[in-house]
Amino acid sequence: MQRWVPLFFLIVLMPASVVKLPAEEIKAQQFSDEQIEFFESKVRPLLSQHCFECHSGKAKKLQAGLRLDSRVLAIEGGDSGAAIEPGKPAESLLIESIRWQAYEMPPKGKLKDSEIAVFEKWISDGAAWPDDQTIAEHIHTSGYDWKKWRSKHWSFQPVTLPDPPEVQRETWIQSDLDRFVLARLEAAEISPAPAAEPGELVRRIYFDLIGLPPSPQQVESFLGAWENDSRQAVSSLVEELLASPHYGERWGRHWLDVARYSDGYGGFLDNKANSEAWRYRDWVIQALNDDLPLDEFLKLQIAGDLTGSRDDAVATGFFALGPTYRSDGGDPDSVAQAKAETLSDRLDTLGRGMLGLTLACCRCHDHKFDPLPQQDYYSLAGVFNNTNVVEHPLVDQEIVDRYKQHQQAIQEKTQQINKLNQQIKQEKRELTAEEQQSLDSWNKELEDLKQTAPPKYEFAHSLRDTGSADMQVAIRGNLRKPGEPAPRRFLQVLSEGDPELFLEGSGRRQLAEAVVDEENPLTSRVFVNRVWMHHFGKALVRTPSNFGSLGEQPTHPRLLDWLTATFLEQGQSLKALHRTIMLSSTYQMSSRFDEKAYAIDGDNRLIWRMNLSRLDAESWRDALLSVTGELDMRRGGPPVDRIDNPRRTVYFKVSRNGDVFATDEFLRRFDFPLMRATIDKRPTSIVPQQFLFLLNSQFMTDRARALSARLAQDSASDEQRIRQAYEMLYQRPASAEEVEIGLSFLQELGETPQGLTAWQQYAQILLSANEFMYLK
Amino acid sequence: MFHQNPLPPLSRRDMLTRIGAGFGSIGLAGVLSESNLLAVPQQVETPLSVKAPHFAPKAKHVIQLFMPGGPSQVDTFDYKPQIGLNAGQRPELVDRKSLRNTKNGLMPSPFKFRQYGECGQWVSDIFPHVAECVDDICFIHSMHTDIPEHAGAMMMMNVGHLQPSRPSMGSWLTYGLGTENQDLPGFVAMSPRAQPRCKLANWGNSFLPGAYAGTYVNIHDMKPDQILHDLKNQHLARIDQRRQADLLTRLNQLHLKEQQRDQQLEASIQTMEMAFRMQFAVPEAFDTQQETQSTLEMYGDSEYAKGCLLARRLVERGVRCIQLSHSIDGYDIAWDTGHNDIAGGHKRLAEACDQGIAALIKDLKQRGLFEETLVIWGGEFGRAPTSEGQKGRDHDHYGFTVWMAGGGVKGGMSYGSTDEFGLSAVENRVHVHDLHATVLHLMGLDHEKLTFRYSGRDFRLTDVHGNVVTEILA
Repeated sequence: MQRWVPLFFLIVLMPASVVKLPAEEIKAQQFSDEQIEFFESKVRPLLSQHCFECHSGKAKKLQAGLRLDSRVLAIEGGDSGAAIEPGKPAESLLIESIRWQAYEMPPKGKLKDSEIAVFEKWISDGAAWPDDQTIAEHIHTSGYDWKKWRSKHWSFQPVTLPDPPEVQRETWIQSDLDRFVLARLEAAEISPAPAAEPGELVRRIYFDLIGLPPSPQQVESFLGAWENDSRQAVSSLVEELLASPHYGERWGRHWLDVARYSDGYGGFLDNKANSEAWRYRDWVIQALNDDLPLDEFLKLQIAGDLTGSRDDAVATGFFALGPTYRSDGGDPDSVAQAKAETLSDRLDTLGRGMLGLTLACCRCHDHKFDPLPQQDYYSLAGVFNNTNVVEHPLVDQEIVDRYKQHQQAIQEKTQQINKLNQQIKQEKRELTAEEQQSLDSWNKELEDLKQTAPPKYEFAHSLRDTGSADMQVAIRGNLRKPGEPAPRRFLQVLSEGDPELFLEGSGRRQLAEAVVDEENPLTSRVFVNRVWMHHFGKALVRTPSNFGSLGEQPTHPRLLDWLTATFLEQGQSLKALHRTIMLSSTYQMSSRFDEKAYAIDGDNRLIWRMNLSRLDAESWRDALLSVTGELDMRRGGPPVDRIDNPRRTVYFKVSRNGDVFATDEFLRRFDFPLMRATIDKRPTSIVPQQFLFLLNSQFMTDRARALSARLAQDSASDEQRIRQAYEMLYQRPASAEEVEIGLSFLQELGETPQGLTAWQQYAQILLSANEFMYLK
Repeated sequence: MFHQNPLPPLSRRDMLTRIGAGFGSIGLAGVLSESNLLAVPQQVETPLSVKAPHFAPKAKHVIQLFMPGGPSQVDTFDYKPQIGLNAGQRPELVDRKSLRNTKNGLMPSPFKFRQYGECGQWVSDIFPHVAECVDDICFIHSMHTDIPEHAGAMMMMNVGHLQPSRPSMGSWLTYGLGTENQDLPGFVAMSPRAQPRCKLANWGNSFLPGAYAGTYVNIHDMKPDQILHDLKNQHLARIDQRRQADLLTRLNQLHLKEQQRDQQLEASIQTMEMAFRMQFAVPEAFDTQQETQSTLEMYGDSEYAKGCLLARRLVERGVRCIQLSHSIDGYDIAWDTGHNDIAGGHKRLAEACDQGIAALIKDLKQRGLFEETLVIWGGEFGRAPTSEGQKGRDHDHYGFTVWMAGGGVKGGMSYGSTDEFGLSAVENRVHVHDLHATVLHLMGLDHEKLTFRYSGRDFRLTDVHGNVVTEILA
């Protein structure tokens, strides 16, 4: 197998070998002086003027893999095959292209007929060329050095369990995890930030695990326990919240970002609704509440429809809910394009979401930086090419059959009626009395059928196997240009020896096994890194969906390995991983600023403090409704599409394009990403539109009214209410200064003639403040 | 305790006095900096702050007059007398695949063409006003694109890719350059009634940060104080709003002080002030009532003309990019009526935009804005010189016309050409990627350097394509 690779690959990693061409082609051929003269005076100037810019060794970017600065290379051709067939101009792609039949070359304008004739004559005379020196530079690779890749690139190396390093300050250590962090800090002569105040910590832990603030009573109870035994207090709180059913709503949402989860409505080429998408969302939430081990969790999402258990198919919503493009016009190019885009979604989501590899990059060519040949892409694409998205019934077949039979009866009856009507129309006559009678009775029957129709049965959007055929590599990503075969199998770089062929159905079950294989060094590392990111705001590998050459190196490679190995040892339990991380001094540091540490490591890569982080759109909105006492804590079910619905934000309806529902508008304004592709991390942008929402929206004034009413119930004086508000919203007592600011605002305003009372205005600002939106 | 407060609240009277002195321009930042109480620097970088271009730009603003549906080049600006001479025939040159693979012969344009200006550009009778401006316009007759389908071709024209999964050109421009007026959106997309097909994708930010998304305005039912969501406070008088905003800043200052240093918290305090000013700056910018009678008359009273006038007002106020799409009858690919009826459909569409477009060019010139504003006119593709049915034309992606005027392009110029019947671009062909590269170049950006890392690789508006059309640069 031969392929082009960028030069730096050749130097850095690849053993290079000179291409082997038939001997007669390499041997300089003998041409007459006349032929050479014709080439030099007529042909070469045209090539140089019109072709070399894109098709020569001097091209800034070689197009279509084709070089026309050498006879041998022109004969060998590019992505589309040989460019010239000496002696046969009519069969030469070069001629077809400059005639603008196969391609439109040169793209800037068609050559004159006389110039085309020059090329035709040249080729029919045998395509003379003087001594062909270029061949020596022409280098192909014989393949990838998989072994070298596996030993050189950090993320392809096996996961190890490193020994925790020695540290000086033993008193700081709560867990071995801390040793990895502290050793690095001590080496850099940075002190870790002091421990977070218990009030800060309880707020942090609640938001972190269930995405909601603690009530003043919950804070009080934690502070009491903290006085007794701080370690025990944290441990008990973590246990309590891990057992809460709301834990899954928080951590499930993190996974739904990876799954680019939406309710459909992706715009013009994939605009259909996924009305039952919520069943997958609820499956994810429940799976996390049940602490399903990671391997099971992933396997079901790849191949849950193949387990034999009806409900497992819901999990394949991971893929099934992605865009499935259709073509606009139905011409073959558009159809191929739509299919290619759909497959690209599946591969991208599998690649970046589960493996931390940018697989979609090798759809058109070998990956430029990672050991991912284009063939690997089509090996995996073949799996999804044998897979369909279907409505998967969640009820007994009997019920499905009954529904379908009834629908068919309705259809038949309707056709019967239409047929008669049409006949009458065609024959341009009135109904006979007899016909009228039958028509009336049919109409009545139709009405009855409709009345008695059973409701649509419950179903999920899931995957289903459709076949078991391999794909071929699509040249330059064009499915209409098949190249070498791509047997279905796993990535070569992640397989020892030749990867096992996927021959069972689509191959998804085998794919699932390969993804979660404990020998696969990526899946668990990628997952553990994501979990770390959600706890700390910043990940250890700061490109969480790209563990390839262009991704970042881990800030703490040994820590990542230690965590991953520990996670595997603990049966791939996410809840165990939370405990490991949260019951550490590292997690429990404050976010306090420190001049010296900031000067050395302003980006906090060494983790000398907790990162200050803004609540995501979901937690922030849930917190608003929670402190006003309005939050509806019911779980699961179809999504809601109004932002004033008091359900938790995870239950919002979301369109793939983010432009259909009021819920989309709200979410997008607060940095909820577009669910078109798997999400690695949420951005936190600060734009004026967010403040327009805070200051002017109906939603915020409604919350302000509710909060002010709630405070009025419990407390008598303004001062008491202010103090209570600070406890409820920020989990800390108000300072004297803050009480003064509040009182003077309220007093100065007195009664406003219109709109909002002084208290409502004040409450709106307390809810809008950064302290409410940020976690220390 | 009150007297020890380092930041005493302003009294109601103080506020009133200061508000009387000019509200929008001062705001809290001004008040506090006077008293030297503001802890944060005056200007923090926000996503839309002005950024330096790669090299000296020729233009600072872009107004894209987008014609969805595909206006026919041979009935507007690409005069082909050979069609009339060979009417009904189907020469080999035009025997190329079309969307519906129509097999009909050449159909002469139902419109008369005349020459205009010193450059002698031929323009059909349906654009009499634009015809008067030809000496300021550079016509590119050799445009071509990848496919003859609306959605894909529209995406190609507006986001540089056949699928709707990339940032729009306006998003790229505001990402690359920021915008001059922080009180207005940096990128505004407008259309009368119907949004162009693919809607938001035409002005969407895709994977670029949210700050670079276009703000969409429907010219038909636009209310200046509702241009943005939640622009207007429904409950409070301006003075009470100001007091509320001041309280918020005060609390956020305290929070920042405790945190000591944090760029995001600093930026958020500044951004709140921007939002506050937007409430008044945006309705002002969109209020065409302030224009003189003669200006209003110059533009005429079509909805598209109103969009043209708004575009000028926005450019005047420093908005970076405006995309103004055409539509009549609420149709999202208006020029597509060309399938059935060129004579009637194209005439109505041209009438609805011709005067406004010409007025925009003249108005920009008389206000000295023409040199710094790049105006681009065109659809996603053109229409074939052969007929579809009796009176219509099918899609043509092999060749079509786009024109540009203003900042940095030569006026009175025709660049490139289609074949003698106007079907395919043959000379000096310009792909949409080349057009994008050229627009970015005029704005001072190197299309190969304006990149954004996403999904593991660097993305560009021009993907891996695009050459600047240097011949048309002034």
